[in-house]
Amino acid sequence: MDTKTLDPLPMHGPDLGLHPDDAELVEAEPETKQEVLENKDVIVQRVHIDGLGRTKEDLLGYEIADVFMAKNLIDVMKKSHEAREKLLRLGIFRKVEVVIDTAEGEDALPNGLDVTFEVTELRRLTGSYNTMVGNNEGSMVLGVKLPNIFGRAEKLTFQFSYGTKETSYGLSFFKPQLGHFDRNICVNLYKVTGQFPWSSLRETDRGIATEFNFPIWKTNHTLKWEGVWRELGCLARTASFAVREESGHSLKSSLSHAMVIDTRNSAILPRRGALFRINQELAGYTGGDASFLKEDFEIQLNRRLFWDSVLSASLWGGMILPVGDKPASIADRFYLGGPTSIRGFSMYSIGPQSEGDYLGGEAYWAGGLHLYTPLPFRPGRGGFGDLFRTHFFLNAGNLCNLNYGEGPRAHLQKLAEYIRWSYGAGIVLRLGNIARLELNYCIPMGVQIGDRICDGVQFGAGIRFL
Amino acid sequence: MSLAAEAFVSQIAAAEPWPENAALFQPLKDDQVLLSDCASSLAVQAYLRMCNLPVQVCCRANAEHMSPSGKVPFIHVGNQVVSELGPIVQFTKAKVVGCVSGQGLSNGPLSCKRHLQHCAEGSAVFLQGHSLSDGLDDVQRAEMKAYMELVNNMLLTAELYIQWCDEATAAQITRPRYSSPYPWPLNHILAYQKQWEVRRKMSAIGWAGKSLEQVYEDVSQCCQALSQRLGTQQYFFNKQPTELDALVFGHLFTILTTQLTSDELSDKIKSYSNLLSFCRRIEHNYFQEHERPGLDPLSIRPSLM
Repeated sequence: MDTKTLDPLPMHGPDLGLHPDDAELVEAEPETKQEVLENKDVIVQRVHIDGLGRTKEDLLGYEIADVFMAKNLIDVMKKSHEAREKLLRLGIFRKVEVVIDTAEGEDALPNGLDVTFEVTELRRLTGSYNTMVGNNEGSMVLGVKLPNIFGRAEKLTFQFSYGTKETSYGLSFFKPQLGHFDRNICVNLYKVTGQFPWSSLRETDRGIATEFNFPIWKTNHTLKWEGVWRELGCLARTASFAVREESGHSLKSSLSHAMVIDTRNSAILPRRGALFRINQELAGYTGGDASFLKEDFEIQLNRRLFWDSVLSASLWGGMILPVGDKPASIADRFYLGGPTSIRGFSMYSIGPQSEGDYLGGEAYWAGGLHLYTPLPFRPGRGGFGDLFRTHFFLNAGNLCNLNYGEGPRAHLQKLAEYIRWSYGAGIVLRLGNIARLELNYCIPMGVQIGDRICDGVQFGAGIRFL
Repeated sequence: MSLAAEAFVSQIAAAEPWPENAALFQPLKDDQVLLSDCASSLAVQAYLRMCNLPVQVCCRANAEHMSPSGKVPFIHVGNQVVSELGPIVQFTKAKVVGCVSGQGLSNGPLSCKRHLQHCAEGSAVFLQGHSLSDGLDDVQRAEMKAYMELVNNMLLTAELYIQWCDEATAAQITRPRYSSPYPWPLNHILAYQKQWEVRRKMSAIGWAGKSLEQVYEDVSQCCQALSQRLGTQQYFFNKQPTELDALVFGHLFTILTTQLTSDELSDKIKSYSNLLSFCRRIEHNYFQEHERPGLDPLSIRPSLM
């Protein structure tokens, strides 16, 4: 099963209510001398940052360097605003205010300007309490955060999460590169417990993960090494023998690489843009006893149509290739079905199964076509009503085990037979920028023997939907 | 499921005949299995052979974690999973193995009592009560249970003590064997975790303060009691073996054929000649009687370090 990032807040700094869609310029203080006119050329002579405590100055030099390049007042205002955003993105300041004034002092030029950033640092130790919505589960998260512990935007986070299905705790250390916030290193230590009733499986993972994020041109890459001690067990005495055979301990040590290109305007209910994410994982060559090569990808395209409606198409797929004689463990295989993937089917209840327990499969694909429209008659327009959308969907997919001895043609054939699909309509509610809730009426089709369906009304909550 | 429902379901399941593909699961024979687990496994194998119920021995590295109670061995019969000798004996008490419906008798063990019952179709069903202790009266049955408790509390606990609480044995034999299927560093973590667990259990039952000499003394006393009960008889009760015989055989044979850091434990048993001949007798009768190709009598012995 995937480990989620432990950070409850998205890494964009606290949300001050400013969205790219409705940016406003920072107001400059009224000029006391009334001499500087808008289109006159100016030179930024000094940029101060007031209010620094433990933050080291070399960190901030990069963020505010651009302000010096401004040529006229409008430019100064724009660049100061951008610098303010960058300072907030570091996640070490609670408040940043910009003051632009004419230059004072002996070497002041007649068209010189002084820009001052007045910052308030975050406290050394902050606690937080959040509720988190994952894929069809809810949890209570208590966190302790030490932002900026060494002065260069490093962050240490401890988190304890108690949920309907999972209990976990984790320690996370984050360090960005000076001047390039997008390049950062993150080290996580965690213990995660999960219960998976669709497979009658209980899993406890204790692990260390080290990841290195860096952008290349328009793409974001992540290189990660992860070492996990996995303990699998049966959830009930009535678990099938196939699941019972997977019980026990195993160690997975894997290297993975992920690439993401995301041009959407929002992660939840985007109106335009596309997402392409591809992830590969190689386990077994750095120790441990799980040995496989795993690939999976996700594509999403969004396009605005007439009358404020959005057409969205998405495709997911993945494959796991065991290296050596041992088959892939049940904890590494793919699962399909449920309100977050193929609607109309019960959670992860598609594909190979034994006595009612779903064992997952080695290869899958899933596709969805959605049409999002505003609510009929647009109630609550401009306010609460904008959080809702109606949506019409068509989902399809398949999950199976491949016989790797045969060629790719046989594999494609196997994935193409017994396609499960469903269609329906429902209402989507957007929760902030993180999650969404759905209430759909689904009609599943192509149901195979062994699949469990949930036709009629289905409720779903989560972050990542097909 | 409530207890009543579980008992009902297991009764229904027990009414099915013994399948061909029944399997017994234990840890890996050559590298992983420990003295105590091997003894328990051998006891169950001996018992099933005495009942003439065929079972295939499967070795798995994760047998201990597959077992519903966390202890090995366990048997997988039909879709029932039962672990440890006590519950297995209960489980086999009512098993249908033969059915007469006009085609004739299908085979079944000859050493057990049979109860005739008529089922709905009118054909006769042989309900094989695989209770080897059916021939015993109440006093003897109570005595048998008492001796089984003695073996479990004394012999089994002594085996666990010597394996895990004696530092020399633990470091040289037990921990390397227990952790052999796992990669580094998981092997050390699991071995120490198990050792801590067993030592905690030993303190709970009061054995933590005992020295190795005292444990050997306890084993000696236990063997003396068993030897006295056995006397010159073939088996412990009458001339038919019971589950007590299987249990005692499992433990004694394993101790005799496993090499530990010192031979004191097997020497204690060797000093009682009737126990030695008892072990040889059961090995000869039940583990060598069928000349099946590939069945090597040595294969029932745990591999020596």
